[in-house]
Amino acid sequence: MQVTPKKIKLAAGIDTLAIEWSDGHVSAYPYRYLRDKCPCATCTGTESLTAAAASPFPMFGVKPLKPDRAELVGRYALQIFWNDNHSTGIYSFEYLRECCPCGKCAVSRPVEDSVPGAS
Amino acid sequence: MKIGPQDVLDALKSVEDPDLHRDIVSLGFVKDLEVGDNRVAFTIQLTTPACPVKDQLAAAARQAVAALGIGDVQVRMTSQVMTPIRSQNQLIPQVKNTVAVASGKGGVGKSTVAANLAVALMRAGAKVGLMDTDVYGPSVPMLMGGNTAPHVVEGKIEPPVEYGIKIISMAYFLPKDEAVIWRGPMLHKTIQQFLGEVRWGELDYLLMDMPPGTGDIQLSLSQTIPLTGAVIVSTPQDLALTVASKAIAMFQKLKVPILGIVENMSYYLCPQCGHREDIFGHGGARAAASKLGFPFLGEIPLDVNVRIQSDGGKPVALDDTTPCGKAFQEIAGALAAQISVANYQVGPEITIE
Repeated sequence: MQVTPKKIKLAAGIDTLAIEWSDGHVSAYPYRYLRDKCPCATCTGTESLTAAAASPFPMFGVKPLKPDRAELVGRYALQIFWNDNHSTGIYSFEYLRECCPCGKCAVSRPVEDSVPGAS
Repeated sequence: MKIGPQDVLDALKSVEDPDLHRDIVSLGFVKDLEVGDNRVAFTIQLTTPACPVKDQLAAAARQAVAALGIGDVQVRMTSQVMTPIRSQNQLIPQVKNTVAVASGKGGVGKSTVAANLAVALMRAGAKVGLMDTDVYGPSVPMLMGGNTAPHVVEGKIEPPVEYGIKIISMAYFLPKDEAVIWRGPMLHKTIQQFLGEVRWGELDYLLMDMPPGTGDIQLSLSQTIPLTGAVIVSTPQDLALTVASKAIAMFQKLKVPILGIVENMSYYLCPQCGHREDIFGHGGARAAASKLGFPFLGEIPLDVNVRIQSDGGKPVALDDTTPCGKAFQEIAGALAAQISVANYQVGPEITIE
Protein backbone atom coordinates (compact mmCIF):
# COMPACT_ATOMS: atom_id res chain seq x y z
CA MET A 1 0.00 0.00 0.00
CA GLN A 2 1.29 3.44 -0.91
CA VAL A 3 1.98 5.90 1.86
CA THR A 4 -0.56 8.72 1.73
CA PRO A 5 -1.34 11.65 3.99
CA LYS A 6 -4.00 11.11 6.62
CA LYS A 7 -4.24 14.63 7.93
CA ILE A 8 -2.89 17.90 6.65
CA LYS A 9 -2.65 20.80 9.10
CA LEU A 10 -2.17 24.14 7.43
CA ALA A 11 -1.23 25.90 10.67
CA ALA A 12 0.58 23.43 12.88
CA GLY A 13 2.88 25.55 14.99
CA ILE A 14 4.85 28.68 14.10
CA ASP A 15 4.80 29.14 10.32
CA THR A 16 4.61 25.38 9.83
CA LEU A 17 2.47 23.06 7.73
CA ALA A 18 2.30 19.50 9.05
CA ILE A 19 1.32 16.22 7.39
CA GLU A 20 0.44 13.08 9.31
CA TRP A 21 1.16 10.15 7.00
CA SER A 22 -0.58 6.79 6.84
CA ASP A 23 2.54 4.98 8.07
CA GLY A 24 2.61 7.10 11.23
CA HIS A 25 5.39 9.46 10.14
CA VAL A 26 4.80 13.17 10.74
CA SER A 27 6.36 15.82 8.51
CA ALA A 28 6.63 19.47 9.53
CA TYR A 29 7.38 21.93 6.73
CA PRO A 30 8.28 25.56 7.47
CA TYR A 31 6.17 27.74 5.11
CA ARG A 32 9.14 29.41 3.45
CA TYR A 33 10.81 26.03 2.84
CA LEU A 34 7.66 24.58 1.29
CA ARG A 35 7.01 27.66 -0.82
CA ASP A 36 10.54 27.54 -2.18
CA LYS A 37 9.96 23.88 -3.05
CA CYS A 38 7.05 24.80 -5.32
CA PRO A 39 7.28 22.38 -8.27
CA CYS A 40 5.33 24.50 -10.78
CA ALA A 41 6.82 25.32 -14.16
CA THR A 42 7.34 28.98 -13.35
CA CYS A 43 9.26 28.29 -10.17
CA THR A 44 11.33 25.43 -11.51
CA GLY A 45 11.86 26.93 -14.97
CA THR A 46 13.82 29.92 -13.76
CA GLU A 47 16.41 30.07 -11.04
CA SER A 48 15.11 33.38 -9.76
CA LEU A 49 14.17 33.76 -6.14
CA THR A 50 10.55 34.03 -5.15
CA ALA A 51 9.26 37.61 -5.12
CA ALA A 52 9.35 38.19 -1.38
CA ALA A 53 12.93 37.07 -0.95
CA ALA A 54 14.00 39.18 -3.92
CA SER A 55 12.96 42.38 -2.21
CA PRO A 56 15.91 44.09 -0.51
CA PHE A 57 13.67 45.34 2.29
CA PRO A 58 11.57 42.31 3.22
CA MET A 59 10.30 43.90 6.41
CA PHE A 60 8.44 46.66 4.60
CA GLY A 61 4.97 45.87 3.26
CA VAL A 62 5.40 42.16 2.75
CA LYS A 63 2.89 40.20 4.72
CA PRO A 64 4.14 37.04 6.41
CA LEU A 65 3.90 34.05 4.11
CA LYS A 66 1.24 31.47 4.88
CA PRO A 67 -1.07 29.10 3.01
CA ASP A 68 -4.63 30.38 2.72
CA ARG A 69 -6.01 26.98 1.83
CA ALA A 70 -5.10 23.70 0.18
CA GLU A 71 -7.02 21.28 -2.01
CA LEU A 72 -6.55 17.65 -2.94
CA VAL A 73 -5.72 17.05 -6.60
CA GLY A 74 -7.13 13.76 -7.90
CA ARG A 75 -5.78 10.96 -5.80
CA TYR A 76 -2.16 11.90 -5.77
CA ALA A 77 -1.37 15.51 -4.87
CA LEU A 78 -2.04 18.68 -2.92
CA GLN A 79 -2.50 22.13 -4.41
CA ILE A 80 -1.47 24.89 -1.99
CA PHE A 81 -2.94 28.38 -2.31
CA TRP A 82 -0.35 30.70 -0.77
CA ASN A 83 -1.20 34.20 0.43
CA ASP A 84 1.40 35.69 -1.94
CA ASN A 85 -1.08 34.75 -4.70
CA HIS A 86 0.93 31.84 -5.92
CA SER A 87 -1.13 28.67 -6.35
CA THR A 88 0.08 26.89 -9.46
CA GLY A 89 2.19 24.37 -7.59
CA ILE A 90 0.82 20.81 -7.50
CA TYR A 91 2.76 18.97 -4.79
CA SER A 92 2.43 15.22 -5.30
CA PHE A 93 2.32 13.19 -2.08
CA GLU A 94 5.46 11.42 -3.25
CA TYR A 95 7.23 14.75 -3.68
CA LEU A 96 6.06 16.00 -0.29
CA ARG A 97 7.34 12.89 1.44
CA GLU A 98 10.62 13.15 -0.46
CA CYS A 99 11.24 16.66 0.82
CA CYS A 100 10.25 16.03 4.44
CA PRO A 101 12.84 18.13 6.27
CA CYS A 102 13.02 16.06 9.43
CA GLY A 103 16.32 14.58 10.56
CA LYS A 104 15.38 10.96 9.97
CA CYS A 105 14.37 11.58 6.35
CA ALA A 106 17.29 13.91 5.63
CA VAL A 107 19.75 11.25 6.73
CA SER A 108 18.35 8.60 4.39
CA ARG A 109 18.16 10.90 1.38
CA PRO A 110 20.86 11.26 -1.34
CA VAL A 111 22.44 14.73 -1.66
CA GLU A 112 19.96 17.17 -3.28
CA ASP A 113 20.76 19.09 -6.40
CA SER A 114 20.11 22.81 -6.45
CA VAL A 115 16.98 22.99 -8.61
CA PRO A 116 13.87 22.43 -6.51
CA GLY A 117 11.51 19.82 -7.85
CA ALA A 118 13.92 18.22 -10.29
CA SER A 119 13.89 14.42 -10.04
CA MET B 1 -31.06 -27.00 21.37
CA LYS B 2 -32.56 -23.75 20.26
CA ILE B 3 -30.68 -21.96 17.50
CA GLY B 4 -30.08 -18.27 18.22
CA PRO B 5 -28.95 -15.35 16.02
CA GLN B 6 -25.29 -15.78 17.04
CA ASP B 7 -25.39 -19.43 15.92
CA VAL B 8 -26.63 -18.33 12.52
CA LEU B 9 -23.96 -15.67 12.25
CA ASP B 10 -21.27 -18.15 13.27
CA ALA B 11 -22.48 -20.53 10.55
CA LEU B 12 -22.47 -17.74 7.98
CA LYS B 13 -18.85 -16.94 8.83
CA SER B 14 -17.95 -19.92 6.68
CA VAL B 15 -19.18 -18.08 3.58
CA GLU B 16 -16.36 -16.03 2.08
CA ASP B 17 -16.49 -13.37 -0.63
CA PRO B 18 -13.99 -14.68 -3.22
CA ASP B 19 -12.87 -11.20 -4.31
CA LEU B 20 -12.61 -9.49 -0.93
CA HIS B 21 -11.23 -12.62 0.80
CA ARG B 22 -13.22 -12.11 3.96
CA ASP B 23 -16.36 -13.74 5.30
CA ILE B 24 -19.70 -12.07 4.69
CA VAL B 25 -20.35 -11.50 8.40
CA SER B 26 -17.17 -9.54 9.10
CA LEU B 27 -17.75 -7.63 5.85
CA GLY B 28 -21.05 -6.47 7.26
CA PHE B 29 -23.09 -7.97 4.43
CA VAL B 30 -25.58 -9.85 6.64
CA LYS B 31 -28.57 -7.78 7.66
CA ASP B 32 -32.14 -8.03 8.94
CA LEU B 33 -31.57 -11.39 10.60
CA GLU B 34 -34.76 -13.02 11.88
CA VAL B 35 -34.63 -16.27 13.80
CA GLY B 36 -37.83 -18.15 14.45
CA ASP B 37 -38.86 -21.73 15.20
CA ASN B 38 -37.15 -23.80 12.49
CA ARG B 39 -37.12 -20.67 10.34
CA VAL B 40 -34.35 -18.20 9.57
CA ALA B 41 -34.54 -15.20 7.26
CA PHE B 42 -31.83 -12.67 6.44
CA THR B 43 -30.60 -10.31 3.78
CA ILE B 44 -27.18 -10.36 2.17
CA GLN B 45 -26.30 -6.86 1.00
CA LEU B 46 -23.58 -7.02 -1.65
CA THR B 47 -21.47 -4.11 -2.84
CA THR B 48 -22.82 -4.18 -6.39
CA PRO B 49 -25.90 -5.46 -8.20
CA ALA B 50 -23.56 -6.87 -10.84
CA CYS B 51 -21.77 -9.22 -8.44
CA PRO B 52 -20.64 -12.20 -10.54
CA VAL B 53 -20.87 -14.66 -7.64
CA LYS B 54 -24.23 -13.52 -6.31
CA ASP B 55 -25.92 -16.89 -6.83
CA GLN B 56 -23.00 -18.86 -5.37
CA LEU B 57 -22.99 -16.72 -2.23
CA ALA B 58 -26.73 -17.14 -1.78
CA ALA B 59 -26.46 -20.90 -2.20
CA ALA B 60 -23.52 -21.18 0.20
CA ALA B 61 -25.30 -19.07 2.81
CA ARG B 62 -28.50 -21.07 2.51
CA GLN B 63 -26.57 -24.31 2.85
CA ALA B 64 -24.57 -23.09 5.87
CA VAL B 65 -27.75 -22.22 7.77
CA ALA B 66 -29.61 -25.34 6.65
CA ALA B 67 -26.74 -27.40 8.07
CA LEU B 68 -27.76 -26.15 11.52
CA GLY B 69 -30.95 -28.11 11.10
CA ILE B 70 -33.17 -25.19 10.07
CA GLY B 71 -35.93 -26.27 7.76
CA ASP B 72 -36.97 -22.91 6.30
CA VAL B 73 -34.14 -20.64 5.20
CA GLN B 74 -35.05 -17.41 3.44
CA VAL B 75 -32.20 -15.48 1.81
CA ARG B 76 -32.81 -12.10 0.24
CA MET B 77 -30.09 -10.62 -1.97
CA THR B 78 -29.77 -6.84 -2.23
CA SER B 79 -26.94 -4.50 -3.06
CA GLN B 80 -25.64 -1.09 -2.17
CA VAL B 81 -22.81 0.28 -4.23
CA MET B 82 -20.21 1.82 -1.96
CA THR B 83 -17.79 4.65 -2.34
CA PRO B 84 -15.10 5.40 0.22
CA ILE B 85 -13.68 8.65 -1.02
CA ARG B 86 -16.23 11.20 0.00
CA SER B 87 -13.96 13.99 0.99
CA GLN B 88 -13.34 15.69 -2.26
CA ASN B 89 -15.79 14.58 -4.89
CA GLN B 90 -17.53 17.91 -4.61
CA LEU B 91 -18.18 18.25 -8.32
CA ILE B 92 -20.24 15.08 -8.47
CA PRO B 93 -21.04 14.07 -4.90
CA GLN B 94 -23.87 11.71 -5.84
CA VAL B 95 -21.76 9.67 -8.26
CA LYS B 96 -20.40 6.72 -6.34
CA ASN B 97 -17.77 5.40 -8.70
CA THR B 98 -15.95 6.93 -11.67
CA VAL B 99 -14.21 4.62 -14.13
CA ALA B 100 -12.03 5.77 -17.01
CA VAL B 101 -12.04 3.45 -20.04
CA ALA B 102 -8.71 4.05 -21.71
CA SER B 103 -6.24 2.66 -24.18
CA GLY B 104 -2.87 3.60 -25.54
CA LYS B 105 -3.78 3.39 -29.20
CA GLY B 106 -6.84 4.54 -31.02
CA GLY B 107 -8.96 2.04 -32.88
CA VAL B 108 -9.01 -0.71 -30.25
CA GLY B 109 -12.71 -0.27 -29.60
CA LYS B 110 -12.69 1.82 -26.42
CA SER B 111 -15.98 3.56 -27.11
CA THR B 112 -17.72 0.32 -28.03
CA VAL B 113 -16.40 -1.33 -24.88
CA ALA B 114 -17.34 1.64 -22.68
CA ALA B 115 -20.86 1.85 -24.12
CA ASN B 116 -21.51 -1.89 -23.85
CA LEU B 117 -20.08 -2.17 -20.33
CA ALA B 118 -22.43 0.65 -19.36
CA VAL B 119 -25.35 -1.29 -20.83
CA ALA B 120 -24.29 -4.54 -19.14
CA LEU B 121 -24.01 -2.83 -15.73
CA MET B 122 -27.39 -1.20 -16.26
CA ARG B 123 -28.94 -4.57 -17.09
CA ALA B 124 -27.46 -5.98 -13.87
CA GLY B 125 -29.42 -3.35 -11.96
CA ALA B 126 -26.96 -0.49 -11.47
CA LYS B 127 -27.58 3.21 -12.12
CA VAL B 128 -25.10 4.11 -14.83
CA GLY B 129 -23.84 7.21 -16.61
CA LEU B 130 -21.59 7.40 -19.66
CA MET B 131 -19.35 10.41 -20.32
CA ASP B 132 -17.75 10.66 -23.75
CA THR B 133 -14.60 12.70 -23.17
CA ASP B 134 -13.22 12.20 -26.66
CA VAL B 135 -13.83 15.76 -27.69
CA TYR B 136 -12.18 15.40 -31.08
CA GLY B 137 -13.87 12.18 -32.14
CA PRO B 138 -17.04 11.74 -30.05
CA SER B 139 -18.76 8.53 -31.09
CA VAL B 140 -20.81 7.51 -28.08
CA PRO B 141 -24.22 9.00 -28.97
CA MET B 142 -24.17 7.21 -32.31
CA LEU B 143 -23.39 3.88 -30.58
CA MET B 144 -26.25 4.41 -28.17
CA GLY B 145 -28.93 5.53 -30.59
CA GLY B 146 -28.57 9.30 -30.39
CA ASN B 147 -32.30 9.83 -30.31
CA THR B 148 -32.54 12.35 -27.51
CA ALA B 149 -30.86 15.69 -27.04
CA PRO B 150 -29.73 17.41 -23.87
CA HIS B 151 -31.64 20.36 -22.51
CA VAL B 152 -31.07 22.87 -19.78
CA VAL B 153 -32.80 22.53 -16.41
CA GLU B 154 -32.16 25.16 -13.72
CA GLY B 155 -28.98 26.32 -15.37
CA LYS B 156 -27.46 22.86 -15.73
CA ILE B 157 -27.51 20.30 -18.51
CA GLU B 158 -29.96 17.44 -18.22
CA PRO B 159 -28.24 14.58 -20.03
CA PRO B 160 -30.09 12.49 -22.64
CA VAL B 161 -30.99 8.98 -21.51
CA GLU B 162 -30.58 5.99 -23.85
CA TYR B 163 -31.32 2.46 -22.64
CA GLY B 164 -31.57 3.81 -19.11
CA ILE B 165 -28.10 5.33 -19.19
CA LYS B 166 -27.39 9.07 -18.85
CA ILE B 167 -25.01 10.20 -21.56
CA ILE B 168 -22.97 13.31 -22.21
CA SER B 169 -20.80 13.91 -25.26
CA MET B 170 -19.35 16.75 -27.30
CA ALA B 171 -21.34 15.35 -30.21
CA TYR B 172 -24.52 16.72 -28.66
CA PHE B 173 -23.19 20.26 -28.72
CA LEU B 174 -21.63 20.53 -32.14
CA PRO B 175 -23.18 20.48 -35.57
CA LYS B 176 -22.30 17.19 -37.29
CA ASP B 177 -19.77 18.56 -39.72
CA GLU B 178 -17.94 20.84 -37.37
CA ALA B 179 -14.59 19.92 -35.86
CA VAL B 180 -13.30 20.83 -32.43
CA ILE B 181 -9.99 22.59 -32.92
CA TRP B 182 -8.96 23.43 -29.38
CA ARG B 183 -5.89 23.74 -27.22
CA GLY B 184 -5.43 22.35 -23.74
CA PRO B 185 -7.16 24.89 -21.50
CA MET B 186 -10.41 24.49 -23.46
CA LEU B 187 -10.27 20.72 -22.96
CA HIS B 188 -9.73 21.17 -19.24
CA LYS B 189 -12.73 23.49 -19.11
CA THR B 190 -14.82 20.94 -20.99
CA ILE B 191 -14.00 18.23 -18.44
CA GLN B 192 -14.93 20.54 -15.58
CA GLN B 193 -18.22 21.39 -17.27
CA PHE B 194 -19.04 17.78 -18.09
CA LEU B 195 -18.53 17.02 -14.41
CA GLY B 196 -19.87 20.05 -12.61
CA GLU B 197 -22.57 21.36 -14.89
CA VAL B 198 -24.39 18.19 -15.86
CA ARG B 199 -27.28 16.86 -13.77
CA TRP B 200 -25.93 13.33 -13.33
CA GLY B 201 -27.99 12.69 -10.22
CA GLU B 202 -27.36 9.58 -8.17
CA LEU B 203 -25.22 7.09 -10.06
CA ASP B 204 -23.56 3.85 -9.02
CA TYR B 205 -21.08 3.98 -11.89
CA LEU B 206 -20.02 6.78 -14.23
CA LEU B 207 -18.02 5.33 -17.10
CA MET B 208 -15.80 7.76 -18.98
CA ASP B 209 -14.79 6.96 -22.51
CA MET B 210 -11.32 8.51 -22.94
CA PRO B 211 -9.67 9.68 -26.12
CA PRO B 212 -6.68 7.56 -27.15
CA GLY B 213 -3.30 8.28 -25.63
CA THR B 214 -2.12 10.13 -22.57
CA GLY B 215 -2.99 13.77 -23.00
CA ASP B 216 -4.79 16.76 -21.56
CA ILE B 217 -8.09 15.02 -21.02
CA GLN B 218 -6.65 12.12 -19.03
CA LEU B 219 -4.63 14.55 -16.94
CA SER B 220 -7.54 16.91 -16.36
CA LEU B 221 -9.76 14.07 -15.28
CA SER B 222 -7.18 12.57 -12.93
CA GLN B 223 -6.57 15.96 -11.32
CA THR B 224 -10.15 17.15 -11.05
CA ILE B 225 -11.72 14.15 -9.35
CA PRO B 226 -10.41 11.16 -7.40
CA LEU B 227 -11.05 8.49 -10.06
CA THR B 228 -12.12 5.11 -8.71
CA GLY B 229 -9.95 3.47 -11.36
CA ALA B 230 -9.18 2.81 -15.00
CA VAL B 231 -9.96 -0.03 -17.39
CA ILE B 232 -7.43 -0.56 -20.18
CA VAL B 233 -8.72 -1.81 -23.53
CA SER B 234 -6.31 -3.50 -25.90
CA THR B 235 -6.33 -5.76 -28.92
CA PRO B 236 -4.25 -8.94 -28.68
CA GLN B 237 -1.37 -7.68 -30.78
CA ASP B 238 1.92 -6.84 -29.16
CA LEU B 239 1.84 -3.38 -30.67
CA ALA B 240 -1.43 -2.44 -29.03
CA LEU B 241 -0.09 -3.66 -25.71
CA THR B 242 3.21 -1.81 -25.92
CA VAL B 243 1.31 1.40 -26.43
CA ALA B 244 -1.29 0.46 -23.83
CA SER B 245 1.51 0.19 -21.29
CA LYS B 246 2.02 3.95 -21.71
CA ALA B 247 -1.54 4.55 -20.60
CA ILE B 248 -0.98 2.17 -17.68
CA ALA B 249 2.19 4.04 -16.66
CA MET B 250 0.31 7.34 -16.77
CA PHE B 251 -2.47 6.15 -14.45
CA GLN B 252 0.06 4.65 -12.09
CA LYS B 253 1.91 7.95 -11.88
CA LEU B 254 -1.35 9.68 -11.04
CA LYS B 255 -2.17 6.99 -8.46
CA VAL B 256 -5.31 5.89 -10.30
CA PRO B 257 -5.85 2.14 -9.69
CA ILE B 258 -5.85 -0.11 -12.75
CA LEU B 259 -9.09 -2.04 -12.35
CA GLY B 260 -8.24 -4.42 -15.16
CA ILE B 261 -7.37 -5.12 -18.78
CA VAL B 262 -9.86 -6.11 -21.47
CA GLU B 263 -8.87 -7.85 -24.69
CA ASN B 264 -11.10 -6.61 -27.50
CA MET B 265 -11.24 -8.17 -30.98
CA SER B 266 -9.91 -11.27 -29.27
CA TYR B 267 -10.78 -13.80 -31.99
CA TYR B 268 -13.24 -14.26 -34.82
CA LEU B 269 -16.01 -16.85 -34.65
CA CYS B 270 -17.65 -17.61 -37.97
CA PRO B 271 -21.44 -17.47 -37.48
CA GLN B 272 -21.97 -20.01 -40.30
CA CYS B 273 -19.60 -22.84 -39.46
CA GLY B 274 -18.30 -21.88 -36.01
CA HIS B 275 -14.67 -21.83 -37.19
CA ARG B 276 -12.46 -19.66 -35.01
CA GLU B 277 -9.69 -17.47 -36.39
CA ASP B 278 -7.32 -15.40 -34.23
CA ILE B 279 -7.10 -12.52 -36.68
CA PHE B 280 -5.19 -10.16 -34.38
CA GLY B 281 -3.50 -12.90 -32.42
CA HIS B 282 -4.97 -14.02 -29.13
CA GLY B 283 -4.22 -13.87 -25.46
CA GLY B 284 -1.66 -11.10 -25.56
CA ALA B 285 -3.64 -8.92 -23.19
CA ARG B 286 -4.18 -11.74 -20.69
CA ALA B 287 -0.46 -12.51 -20.71
CA ALA B 288 0.39 -8.83 -20.19
CA ALA B 289 -2.10 -8.53 -17.35
CA SER B 290 -0.57 -11.53 -15.66
CA LYS B 291 2.96 -10.22 -16.15
CA LEU B 292 2.10 -6.74 -14.85
CA GLY B 293 0.00 -8.04 -11.99
CA PHE B 294 -3.33 -6.54 -13.04
CA PRO B 295 -6.70 -8.26 -13.15
CA PHE B 296 -7.70 -9.60 -16.55
CA LEU B 297 -11.37 -8.81 -16.99
CA GLY B 298 -12.15 -10.81 -20.13
CA GLU B 299 -12.09 -11.26 -23.88
CA ILE B 300 -14.53 -9.90 -26.43
CA PRO B 301 -14.65 -11.71 -29.76
CA LEU B 302 -14.84 -10.06 -33.16
CA ASP B 303 -18.39 -10.27 -34.34
CA VAL B 304 -19.83 -8.58 -37.36
CA ASN B 305 -22.96 -7.97 -35.34
CA VAL B 306 -21.08 -5.59 -33.07
CA ARG B 307 -20.48 -3.32 -36.03
CA ILE B 308 -23.95 -3.74 -37.51
CA GLN B 309 -25.70 -3.04 -34.23
CA SER B 310 -23.36 -0.22 -33.25
CA ASP B 311 -24.03 1.48 -36.56
CA GLY B 312 -27.71 1.08 -35.82
CA GLY B 313 -27.36 2.47 -32.32
CA LYS B 314 -28.22 -0.78 -30.54
CA PRO B 315 -25.39 -1.98 -28.28
CA VAL B 316 -24.82 -5.76 -28.45
CA ALA B 317 -24.74 -5.98 -24.67
CA LEU B 318 -28.53 -5.67 -24.70
CA ASP B 319 -28.67 -9.36 -25.64
CA ASP B 320 -26.56 -11.57 -23.40
CA THR B 321 -27.31 -14.74 -25.39
CA THR B 322 -24.88 -13.76 -28.14
CA PRO B 323 -21.15 -14.46 -27.63
CA CYS B 324 -20.39 -10.72 -27.49
CA GLY B 325 -23.32 -9.89 -25.27
CA LYS B 326 -22.31 -12.65 -22.88
CA ALA B 327 -18.69 -11.47 -22.91
CA PHE B 328 -19.76 -7.96 -21.93
CA GLN B 329 -22.00 -9.31 -19.18
CA GLU B 330 -19.14 -11.30 -17.66
CA ILE B 331 -16.64 -8.47 -18.01
CA ALA B 332 -19.10 -6.03 -16.36
CA GLY B 333 -19.41 -8.46 -13.41
CA ALA B 334 -15.63 -8.77 -13.15
CA LEU B 335 -15.28 -4.99 -13.32
CA ALA B 336 -17.89 -4.44 -10.61
CA ALA B 337 -16.04 -6.93 -8.40
CA GLN B 338 -12.71 -5.14 -8.97
CA ILE B 339 -14.32 -1.79 -8.14
CA SER B 340 -15.48 -3.24 -4.82
CA VAL B 341 -12.00 -4.62 -4.16
CA ALA B 342 -10.39 -1.26 -5.00
CA ASN B 343 -12.82 0.59 -2.74
CA TYR B 344 -12.05 -1.70 0.19
CA GLN B 345 -8.37 -0.94 -0.23
CA VAL B 346 -8.68 2.83 -0.09
CA GLY B 347 -7.34 4.31 3.10
CA PRO B 348 -9.24 6.71 5.33
CA GLU B 349 -10.31 10.14 4.12
CA ILE B 350 -7.60 12.77 3.98
CA THR B 351 -8.58 15.72 6.14
CA ILE B 352 -7.27 19.20 5.63
CA GLU B 353 -7.58 21.68 8.45
